[in-house]
Amino acid sequence: MAQPLVLFKNRHPNRVATLDEYRQSGGYAALERFIGGKIDPGEVVRLIDESGLRGRGGAGFPAGKKWEAVPKNAPFPRYLVANADEMEPGTFKDRILLHTDPHCVIEGMILAGYAFSATKGFFFIRPSYDSSAAIMERELEIARQSGFLGKSILGSGYSFDIVVHRSGGRYICGEATALLNAIMGKRPNPIKPPPYPTEKGLWDRPTVVNNVETLACVPHILRNGPQWFKDLSLTSKGAGTKLFCVSGKVNSPGAEELPMGTPLREIIEKHFGGMLPGSEFKACLPGGASTRFLTSEHYDVPMDFDDLKAIGNRLGTAAIMIFDQKTCLVATTHNLMKFFARESCGWCTPCREGLPYMRELLWLIENGEGKEEYIDTLRSMCKQVWNSYCALAPGAAEPVASLLEFFEDEVREHIRLKGCPFNAKAGN
Amino acid sequence: MPRLVIDDLEIEVPKGTKVIDAAERLGIMIPRFCYHEALGAVGACRMCAVKFIEGPLKGVQMSCMIDAQDGMVVSTTDQEAVDFRKRVIEWLMINHPHDCPVCDEGGQCLLQDETVSSGHGRRRYPGRKRTYRNQYLGPFIAHEMNRCIHCYRCSRYYQEFSGYRDLGPLQIGNRVYFGRFKEGRLESPFSGNLVDICPTGVYTDIPARFKVRRWDLQRAPSVCINCPLGCNTIGNSHYRAVMRVEARMNPYVNGYFLCDEGRFGFSYTNGGADHAQRPWNSRISGADVTVEAALAESASKIAEISAIYGPGAVVALGSTRNSLETQSMLSRLCRRKGWQGPVWFNDPAIYRKVRSGVERLDSGIAVSMREIEFADFVIVAGADLLNEAPMAAMAIRQASRKNATIIVVDPRPISLPFEFRHIPAAPAQIERCLGSLVKGSISKDELKGFDSSAKGFCKALPAKFEEKESGISISELSGQLMSAKRPVIVCGTGIVCESTPAFAADCAQLLRESGKKAGLFYILPGASSFSSALLSGPETKTFSEILPQIEEGLIKALIATESDPFWDFPDRERLDRALSMLDLLVVIDYLPTETVKRATVFHPSSTVFEMNSTFVNQEGRVQHAERVHVGGVPIWGAHPPRIIRNFVPGGDHQPAWELLWKISAETSMLESVLTLGELIAAEIPVFEAVGHSKYPITEGRIIPENSEGSFVKPKASPAKGQTAKGFNLLLTDTIFASREPSAYADTLASVFPEATLFMHSGDANGAGLSEGDMVSVELELGAIQLKLSVSQRMARGFLFLPRQRGIHWQKMKEFSAWIAPERIRKI
Repeated sequence: MAQPLVLFKNRHPNRVATLDEYRQSGGYAALERFIGGKIDPGEVVRLIDESGLRGRGGAGFPAGKKWEAVPKNAPFPRYLVANADEMEPGTFKDRILLHTDPHCVIEGMILAGYAFSATKGFFFIRPSYDSSAAIMERELEIARQSGFLGKSILGSGYSFDIVVHRSGGRYICGEATALLNAIMGKRPNPIKPPPYPTEKGLWDRPTVVNNVETLACVPHILRNGPQWFKDLSLTSKGAGTKLFCVSGKVNSPGAEELPMGTPLREIIEKHFGGMLPGSEFKACLPGGASTRFLTSEHYDVPMDFDDLKAIGNRLGTAAIMIFDQKTCLVATTHNLMKFFARESCGWCTPCREGLPYMRELLWLIENGEGKEEYIDTLRSMCKQVWNSYCALAPGAAEPVASLLEFFEDEVREHIRLKGCPFNAKAGN
Repeated sequence: MPRLVIDDLEIEVPKGTKVIDAAERLGIMIPRFCYHEALGAVGACRMCAVKFIEGPLKGVQMSCMIDAQDGMVVSTTDQEAVDFRKRVIEWLMINHPHDCPVCDEGGQCLLQDETVSSGHGRRRYPGRKRTYRNQYLGPFIAHEMNRCIHCYRCSRYYQEFSGYRDLGPLQIGNRVYFGRFKEGRLESPFSGNLVDICPTGVYTDIPARFKVRRWDLQRAPSVCINCPLGCNTIGNSHYRAVMRVEARMNPYVNGYFLCDEGRFGFSYTNGGADHAQRPWNSRISGADVTVEAALAESASKIAEISAIYGPGAVVALGSTRNSLETQSMLSRLCRRKGWQGPVWFNDPAIYRKVRSGVERLDSGIAVSMREIEFADFVIVAGADLLNEAPMAAMAIRQASRKNATIIVVDPRPISLPFEFRHIPAAPAQIERCLGSLVKGSISKDELKGFDSSAKGFCKALPAKFEEKESGISISELSGQLMSAKRPVIVCGTGIVCESTPAFAADCAQLLRESGKKAGLFYILPGASSFSSALLSGPETKTFSEILPQIEEGLIKALIATESDPFWDFPDRERLDRALSMLDLLVVIDYLPTETVKRATVFHPSSTVFEMNSTFVNQEGRVQHAERVHVGGVPIWGAHPPRIIRNFVPGGDHQPAWELLWKISAETSMLESVLTLGELIAAEIPVFEAVGHSKYPITEGRIIPENSEGSFVKPKASPAKGQTAKGFNLLLTDTIFASREPSAYADTLASVFPEATLFMHSGDANGAGLSEGDMVSVELELGAIQLKLSVSQRMARGFLFLPRQRGIHWQKMKEFSAWIAPERIRKI
């Protein structure tokens, strides 16, 4: 398997790569060239823009465009936030990345900060990743002592420091605007733009929030050039590699770095050991819990932002959860909805009250008390929660909507049989 | 100005208007829960969904979140939007307890209205309801969280608008809980607004709870008379008792809100919970008599004394809680009958301060509370707003939220619900501090442009004021004031020197001359202080000046009209002696005051809820309070009587002006003055000048235009500090407990602040005292015991004693006292 190892270049089975290892693999060269060489920050933005790097946190917003959105004359201090609040069910790529090569993320943060003249970086991490947070704290200190971080980096006059901020531990804290509220010590409710955080974020100052994996790509792009990054992808529109985390009915679940656009079939069969013996691919959630079920019809789809969009789905965080023919998708969806209903921040009505309503109906269907009319109710609610305040509820409705679209027969079978044909049971 | 179409009606609205407001202008009420004009749009409830058909946006959107734009075509009745709103109601109702029949909000409930109007009537949700535990939030507000629909109005009001942090949202998802971290009384003295602002029955008014249904209430617009601000209220009565007071929106005065003293301090009008605390009947020498007998007795006794000793032996006392009608009548009667008075104030210093302030206010410089909200620099000089005029603090908070700089120059340990710079200057130093602040903000160029009097005033201002302890740089603040466009000076009249109100006016005038839209806002001592000052002249006396005449036997009769010298006159012993020397003490009042108990003849008067009356607030705004109910002993608590009588028990009271007219035996009154409006205009010419001789006067301000304010040369500040060792003891007000009539309301008794003496921590250390000690302070007429509170943020060498019900501060011989160190000790 000739995998183009970029982010996982220094991956060791049981330990974290050291600063020396990272430097030997070319680490901090980009930092020395761009910051040490006092190259115009605009050049950093231009290169990232050209590379086609899109946000790895789920929304896929072009990273360069986000940095450009910080107005040139915006006030100081400006802030950068690395979002490591990885709470999307099925997603664990950031944790593996942090346990593999933390300096890759640190260098990416410093370069990203340089791109829009930020002076402070927040490393926002979910509290259950405490070991990762401890690693970051340790490695940040090492970077500081090596002169890569802190006052006047490499004597360039550009100062940037990073603090590790442990989240309160809620799914909504990963939403960029809620995350900013959380850092400011406020209740983590999302804030509807405008103004965008890039204009008025933390303490009304320009703030950029990037996913950890996105930031980790930055030094590699700057070192090797945008074209190199583009060429990593198997699809023409895609760029770079992607960390895929695969879970469910495959032989060797885990996280691997693969080129963007690797077909789903190849991911499952070649890189994750194929389906378990006796299991057939029934469906998967291609990008975490808030994407739609992807059926075997699209088993060959290239896993890239645009290709998945073309079939009405999303790449999301590229956390692929694979279900086989023996799995009850109603129970699965109920399980997901339980999570989303619990994790709603409680700000707007559709999410706060609508999700528990849907969870209740799914529970009744799964446990044999379903009624035909529930299908219509669920369907209309799936549409109506799109009128909620942030993207949590629309995302939460995706599995339900696609369940009703692709597996309506299975749902109706539950209602007809007054029970689960798979003998599954939904927990409360 | 964007033009848009809403439900086929076209409208043009100012830029920045939300679609929900544009619709309201067309008379289309888009349902909403979280949106409130005072709190802004946050898009939480999703109830105001409408469909955008044409224009820059398409589809179902929240009308509160979207600014009206050109070319928008909006439908509020589109099926998709209607279905969505119906669904929102269904969602909100899945956990609501449907307890409208036992809920006090029933009949005034936004949730009830919008649920019914959405057509939601059948529960489809098959699951269980979520339930919460309620909290004890103090004696005013009941908590019933199960009714909550999570609109976040309460927490946004409480934390963002009013600036307190002890109530807010806890938990997430559908378990979000609005409450306190721990049970306990809400810290905010503006907590009652939660009742008004909650769209359903989570917060209900405890004094009114379980007593009456909304539709059985008699309601009328009223005005709060507890402090000079004159906040607008709605009185709610049932069975002759005021049940509750709600805020009435007035954009210039109180906005949508009220303080708790104004909201809950009404039960004096009912005579308390047992109705026994109010003097309901006319009395002669303590025995109940008929109205007519009492009136005849007063009239004949007054005539008799006038005949024997001359009319100058009769003195009429008014007060700053009289209505404008009563004050005008007093003024007229004194003039026509030759009585002395009317006397409005006890303390000559306070009187002079009020008068000099009112004289200097002109319509250009006087600002309303609304205008304070838009100030960018506020200087509070000698006023403890939260205790003296709470809603003014709320107005300044709104300015503070818009990043205004707030400076408080006051010797007391002031606390306010927003960030401010406190300069704890001694009263005598306030002018010096204010003057140097203003002087520093005037540039040399500006000074050149001034006329000679302004120039002279500016030059005479002290250049430097050193404030060592607070570490605040006046010159830095002056720099900020220099760049301010709309500065406001809020000046108290209590603790400051006599010259300070006029000085503050001069400073505001100077800021105007330097091109700023500067404003001036006085805090006066009572609801009717402004009109008292208008009715006063240079010869007007205060009670302190009248008292020696009583003692000398020159005054034989006293007519106390809603006036109680025992409330705010020191030297209780002297007062006792003097009043016992009178031949006649006629008292007209509705409160069970000490003076009422001593009355020779007592006439019950009507409270603000029982008559039509007019009040002028401290910025000269004339406001009318309508009669809410015909008074009498309340009958709730018992079944209404089955016997029909031809009189109302306890219904003998009449408006004070009417009683005055009757006891004066002034028969010619009706011939010469036809209406109350003409009476008022005849006594206060400025009313006529601004065209207010009609009655009732429901709105308007009576500040004369462009009264020529001339600069007074600032006097040199007195030498700093006194050499003798000891403390200057000054009286100060506290919220709930210091003011008539609210301090007589038994609803407030449980929240009276603990009696506390304030002392600088340095002074306390020197005296071997510490925070929380019980101390005994030896006053001239005896000792009082109370708790000590120490603070670093106050002037040294001062003691502050709250003039509150339950503290016998009348053991002082004067309005202030000098306390030698040995006269204060720990017990």
